[in-house]
Amino acid sequence: MKLRHLSIIAKKEFKGLFNERTILLAVLLQLFIALFSSFLMVGLASMYDPSSLSKYSHSRYSIAYSGNESPLLTSLEASSDFRVYQMDLSTAVAALKERKLAAVIFVPDTLPDATDPVKITLYTLQNDLQAAIVDVKLKDIFLKYETDLREIRADRLKEELIGIQIPKAGGGGDFYEFVYGLLIPLLVFMPAIIASALVIDLITEEYQHETLETLVSTPLTFTEIVWGKVLACELLVPVQAGAWLILLMINGIAIQNAGLILVQVIVTSLILILLGTLTALHYRERTAAQFIFSTALVVVILFALALPDNPLNLLTRLAVGTAAGEQWLVLGVTLGIILMLSYATYRYAEKIAKTHQTG
Amino acid sequence: MSTFIDIITIARWELKKSFSMISRDVLPLSIILFILLMIATGFTAQTGLHLQDGMYQVGVDDPQIASLLASDARFSVYLLDAPALNANGNSFDLIVVKGVVFNSGTDKANAAQKTLERDYSKYVSSVYNTENDLFAAYPLWIDTQPVKSELTFLSTQSGQYISAAPRRIAPVPEGEIKIVPTPLPGLEISTEDLRRELVQSNEKNTQISRYTEALSASSSMGTFKTPAQLSPPLPFDSIILVFVFIFPLYFTSQFFMMSIMNERIERKGEILLSTPIRTSSIIIGKALPYFIGMVAICAGLTLYIRASPVIILPLIPVIFFFLANALLIGMLSRSFKELSFISIFFSTVATSYLFFPSIFANVHVISLISPLTLIVLTIQGSAWTITDYLYSTSLFWLTGAVLFYIAARNFKDERLFSEKKLLSRMREFLSEILSQKHPFISLFLLSGFSIPFIFMVQMMCLVLFFNLPMPYSLVFLLLFAALTEETAKGVGIYTIYSRDPAFLTWKNLIFACAATAIGFLVGEKLLLFVTIAQISDSVFGSILFLSLGSLWLPLLLHFVCVLIVACCLKVWGKKGFVPGLVIAMVVHCLYNLYFILGWLG
Repeated sequence: MKLRHLSIIAKKEFKGLFNERTILLAVLLQLFIALFSSFLMVGLASMYDPSSLSKYSHSRYSIAYSGNESPLLTSLEASSDFRVYQMDLSTAVAALKERKLAAVIFVPDTLPDATDPVKITLYTLQNDLQAAIVDVKLKDIFLKYETDLREIRADRLKEELIGIQIPKAGGGGDFYEFVYGLLIPLLVFMPAIIASALVIDLITEEYQHETLETLVSTPLTFTEIVWGKVLACELLVPVQAGAWLILLMINGIAIQNAGLILVQVIVTSLILILLGTLTALHYRERTAAQFIFSTALVVVILFALALPDNPLNLLTRLAVGTAAGEQWLVLGVTLGIILMLSYATYRYAEKIAKTHQTG
Repeated sequence: MSTFIDIITIARWELKKSFSMISRDVLPLSIILFILLMIATGFTAQTGLHLQDGMYQVGVDDPQIASLLASDARFSVYLLDAPALNANGNSFDLIVVKGVVFNSGTDKANAAQKTLERDYSKYVSSVYNTENDLFAAYPLWIDTQPVKSELTFLSTQSGQYISAAPRRIAPVPEGEIKIVPTPLPGLEISTEDLRRELVQSNEKNTQISRYTEALSASSSMGTFKTPAQLSPPLPFDSIILVFVFIFPLYFTSQFFMMSIMNERIERKGEILLSTPIRTSSIIIGKALPYFIGMVAICAGLTLYIRASPVIILPLIPVIFFFLANALLIGMLSRSFKELSFISIFFSTVATSYLFFPSIFANVHVISLISPLTLIVLTIQGSAWTITDYLYSTSLFWLTGAVLFYIAARNFKDERLFSEKKLLSRMREFLSEILSQKHPFISLFLLSGFSIPFIFMVQMMCLVLFFNLPMPYSLVFLLLFAALTEETAKGVGIYTIYSRDPAFLTWKNLIFACAATAIGFLVGEKLLLFVTIAQISDSVFGSILFLSLGSLWLPLLLHFVCVLIVACCLKVWGKKGFVPGLVIAMVVHCLYNLYFILGWLG
């Protein structure tokens, strides 16, 4: 194998990619996924965390309180989120239906220390975003009431709890786990998946467009052609992953160990690319190869995620700066797998080349 | 009748071809892989996903708390004595000394504390769940009763929130008051049932089981909830639906795509085209096996999860849409890489379009724009009407049909086997459906039928720009909505111009613009009438689909904007197209600003 020959093939593939410009679609796709997932997170978080919602709802909600008096009424009246009216249940529900109220609460005459639970009936509007917000705001008040009731009945509880006092959380940190624990590994790893699908296309294309014969008749050997394609795909990975890291950092997301993250991605992506190469060499036809490879990819990724200290987890830990010596161990194991796969690819390509010459 | 026989023949060929491909040692390996997939899923379900392991570092002085925290793999727990912890406080995100949590104040520490809070409350409930006196541990139960609003949801859309400003006096309902029975004080479910449900729902919060259980039967607790459970239902079941239903469809449509592509590469299509069989029969015949296969997969899945067969109804337009796109992508792309990129891009966009609204299935009516929402509703046992069905699937039917039509018109030698660039191929495809004889009618129809696509694109923009802070999101949406519309309107004239520049005399130019503008207006109004009326009244909606009021003004706007683009084309040739679009976009935006927000005035 000559390095110069490899680079000739790699250059040819790059030229093809840039001519078609469809690689732009791949980049756009990643951007889309990033935006979309952050939309999801922000949207969801605001649904489940009333404090982040408060900016959408400055208004106080009108709610009706019906049934017996209880400490709940006091805390509802004290809340700045609600204006409470004491109303007859039927009238209140009718007003709710006309959207003149946001919710109706009915409290029974169960005593706080009774054996039975206190069952509150909560009427809210179906299929309504505002109703969901009201639910979330009411939840806090109900939780407080639950704690009070629990204290009254505490002598009936047997188990001893391990006590932890948690101070009131400061703001921020809502999206930390999402950004570092999901978005970063996903974005940085996506180029590897794209590259491995690309290598299948590049190889099967030569077979199906019947351009392989022409290529082999040049001084390039078959093995060199294969490795040239692997090289081209591999080179695309750090470029894209690096671009992501830079983009994230521009957006004010501090990423530690960016260099080491790139090293990990480069090495791990080679496993996928080699797997893709082997599949493509075996099937020499895109539909079959892509189908088998994508199924295999799901299996490999699922399996890897089930293992502690997997490369994806390592990306997270590197990004937050909690990775220690184990990263070198992971790197070593990955390199070992790569050596095995490289050898297999090399032998396979040589074997195919030989049958080409004889046949 | 003969058409029918032709279709069947082609379908049989197609089936034979794909089977001969699959049997070639793909089948054994895919069976092995499938078994491996099962094993891997089971294994992952057991051990959990280890993606976020060791994100946070916590120092603890109490072994009991240490073991409690260590059960969450996200924490790396260090057991030290109190003085050591206090001395090295900064090297940890959190430290717990004598049962009190101290937070180092960074974002990461806040995130860690929130995780700890969740873990702790889970631990507390797991202890409470074993209490003999369950109602001492859970003294408060909420019985949630959904009430159907008498007013339509249009009232919330148009900005009328649930009761405006709170007043001193209690609100008085205007309509008739129906007697609501006073709720009984007791829970009608046995304590043991409640305990079992509580234990289950506490476990549900682990990463995997939440996903695997999403499709199983709903809770037997009915409407009863503890306060902690009182929040909108988690939307994860729609993620599952995407995986369960949409991914197989995506895979199958890939096979269709490749079959078309292979026909082009191996030039077998030429033989087929030289037969007297009509192109539409060829296309339908080729698509039929995949269509049946996809429906069969869906039916199988429906049976497997024991859901109502009604689920298949909303999936059919989705299948139709996927196949139409697959056909066109297979016909358009020149190389495998292009095919991959375009198809991955398309499927991601389509999947998110399907997925995003269905998250809000239980929350908001807007969710109905996705057929997946109907599936979520069916699984939950809620009913939906034919109107709902039309509302959520019409865009899919329409766009699918238009794409099939474009593909059918272009399914011939010179298109299938040309090697031009993607954009010029797209232009050729369009040029084919613009009739030479009746260019104005064609333009009218083209711009009319572009409306469903524009709506789809604009819906996606809404999702994307939602990420930006408020004024920017509105500005971008404004610009982008205008640009999309102008591009769609301009594209027809551009195609005609590049086919025959001489055609565009000043007289023809005016007529062409008028045809496009009228077509656009008619399409817009029709579709609004059928479907989108419901969301067109919100603030975002008013930017996207403004101009319900009078007909003259929007028509004038469409006409002027197309005219700008057309004039630029006429004066500067093809390179005038993009500047023309930009100017038209600016004009369109100014119009929107003036009419929606009353600015400038």
